[in-house]
Amino acid sequence: MTNVLTATKPPAMQTPIERNYLDVSGVGKAFRGVRVMDAMNFRMAKGELVSLLGPSGCGKTTLLRIIAGLMAADEGAVVLGGRNITTLPAHKRNISVVFQNYALFPHLTVAENVAFGLRARGTAKGDTAKPVAEALALVRMTEFADRPIAALSGGQQQRVAVARALVVDPDLLLLDEPFSALDRKLRETMQVELKAMLRDRGITAIFVTHDQEEALGVSDRIAVMNAGRIEQFADPSTLYARPNSPFVMDFVGLSTRLHGTVTSHDAGMITVKTAIGDLHARANFPVGTAVLLGVRPELVAPDPDPQMNSVTVPLRDVMVLGSKTVLHGVANDADRVLCELPGIRSGFSHGQTATLGWSIEDTLVYEVAG
Amino acid sequence: MIARLDRISLLAVPALVFLAAIYALPLMMLLAKSFQGPEGTGISAYIEFFSDPYNLNVLWRTIRVALLTTLLALLIAYPTAFAMARANGIWLTVFLVALVLPMSLGVVVKAFAWSILFRANGALNEFMQWIGLTSGPIRMMFTETALVVGAANVFLPFMVLPIYAVVRQLNASLPDAAASLGATPLFRFTHVTLPLTLPGVVAGAAFVFSLSISMYVIPSLIVGERQQTMSMLIARSFLYLRDETLGSTISAILLAIAVAVVLFSSWLAGRLGARQ
Ligand SMILES: Nc1ncnc2c1ncn2[C@@H]1O[C@H](COP(=O)(O)OP(=O)(O)O)[C@@H](O)[C@H]1O
Ligand SMILES: [Mg+2]
Repeated sequence: MTNVLTATKPPAMQTPIERNYLDVSGVGKAFRGVRVMDAMNFRMAKGELVSLLGPSGCGKTTLLRIIAGLMAADEGAVVLGGRNITTLPAHKRNISVVFQNYALFPHLTVAENVAFGLRARGTAKGDTAKPVAEALALVRMTEFADRPIAALSGGQQQRVAVARALVVDPDLLLLDEPFSALDRKLRETMQVELKAMLRDRGITAIFVTHDQEEALGVSDRIAVMNAGRIEQFADPSTLYARPNSPFVMDFVGLSTRLHGTVTSHDAGMITVKTAIGDLHARANFPVGTAVLLGVRPELVAPDPDPQMNSVTVPLRDVMVLGSKTVLHGVANDADRVLCELPGIRSGFSHGQTATLGWSIEDTLVYEVAG
Repeated sequence: MIARLDRISLLAVPALVFLAAIYALPLMMLLAKSFQGPEGTGISAYIEFFSDPYNLNVLWRTIRVALLTTLLALLIAYPTAFAMARANGIWLTVFLVALVLPMSLGVVVKAFAWSILFRANGALNEFMQWIGLTSGPIRMMFTETALVVGAANVFLPFMVLPIYAVVRQLNASLPDAAASLGATPLFRFTHVTLPLTLPGVVAGAAFVFSLSISMYVIPSLIVGERQQTMSMLIARSFLYLRDETLGSTISAILLAIAVAVVLFSSWLAGRLGARQ
């Protein structure tokens, strides 16, 4: 009998996480003289599932290709499992990639595609049957083993690509927007399946996406990228509750946006004059600083207490979405107040004025260029 | 039946009529002649042809030259097609012009240009003697090697273009996928790039082989009467010997080889393309 406690304790909980299994440091890249990545640092622990989240063209694929060895960085180093792999060619890295377009081999069957990595590593043809069958069973594609690739739907091709990447037991799995070509329903199912599959097998993986909901749902930690830099690298709840820049606040979820100027500063509390009144936030900015205030929509509610931040705004839109009702208040051209209430709420209508409020503690504040 | 006929397929009618009138009909008449000897209808003309060692020699030379020409053209064309698929803008134009423009020059002009380079007192012989590679002029014109080199040069576009068409369609992330799965550059080539480009190779090889096996002007200019090929035998039979039966017989044999190559290559291309 083993001790039940030690047997069930996840190892990651026992020891402080050492976040240097993958260590990308000082990586830079230019295409024809145009810098798209500068001094990129990126570290993660073994067994982690990290998302790279950012708008199209911010350098996510470039970073993946550099890690996979499919593209050389101009400077910087990539270390995996303590081994410097910066100059190692892709085929010697044991890093699997699931490509955005799946990149399945059209001249091979499903089973031959999955067997490819084993064959490339010198496994005899007869010895691939068992691992290939296991990998296909894992993605529930067993009955498609002898089909040609062209006969598969997008979702099925996606599964084959995952099976092909996993069958070689990679040290690191890179997934480049693997679900972007799938419809919403299928995408959500696949997200749940993939997450469970990677967790169960303890696979270390980087998951690239431009969809913030997908990133929040799938990953242990999220690196938000913008223009070749990482803006913030944190777990989903920190990222959502405490975004460290207006970019992250806007890219991950929606929020109220109100511009203003600091008019007083006292004991870690500032007062900000905005177009729709004075508001408070916990921060240490000197008087005169131009700031942007934000707050997540579900933290905003009607009829606030007197000690809370409170604004009265005309409602431009009232969206009843079933599980929630969203009020869209206008402050001025650039600024808005968003309020999200659970369930279906009546009593609000377009054009009406509403008084909305939120806690000072929940108020996000960023210095902006005046 | 008529109701099920695809209307778009009617667009092929002009081409079919044209081919039937200009190609198939005269060819059938020609073939019919090969079975009509002085002693009546039969295959005696074929027996006679195959029992003459000289004819067998010509037949074997023709096939050998066609095979070598196809091989040489393939070796040059395959990497060229990849370079072209990589090129864009001005470089692609340069490639295409370099490939297509010489076709408009005509074989006669080319052959005389080669003779300046390759003849006994030509530029290449002078150069090889000057650097001390050879001690005297070596024979380069009027050899089978010269014929193969010349034919491969003339027919190169017919090999490059079909391969280029296939390479351009190649998904560039497939070699990357193979590399990330642990495939060495050689394994990537033999298991991904080559199988995927083989349909283009088959098409190009069928073109060049068919053209080389029936070529007449190029061997006439480069090797002359000394080393006959099948087409030269046909021409001689009709023009000088006035022996229509012999001419038709050799034509039929040549046609049979060409048909076999075309059928085999379409079968091969079909098999290769079946899964894609
Ligand atoms: N091969 C390339 N040649 C030139 N520019 C490139 C190349 N690959 C990427 N880029 C540029 O680098 C930037 C980052 O691209 P990429 O990494 O593909 O972004 P993402 O995957 O986040 O959409 C983009 O501006 C893109 O235009
Ligand atoms: Mg990308």
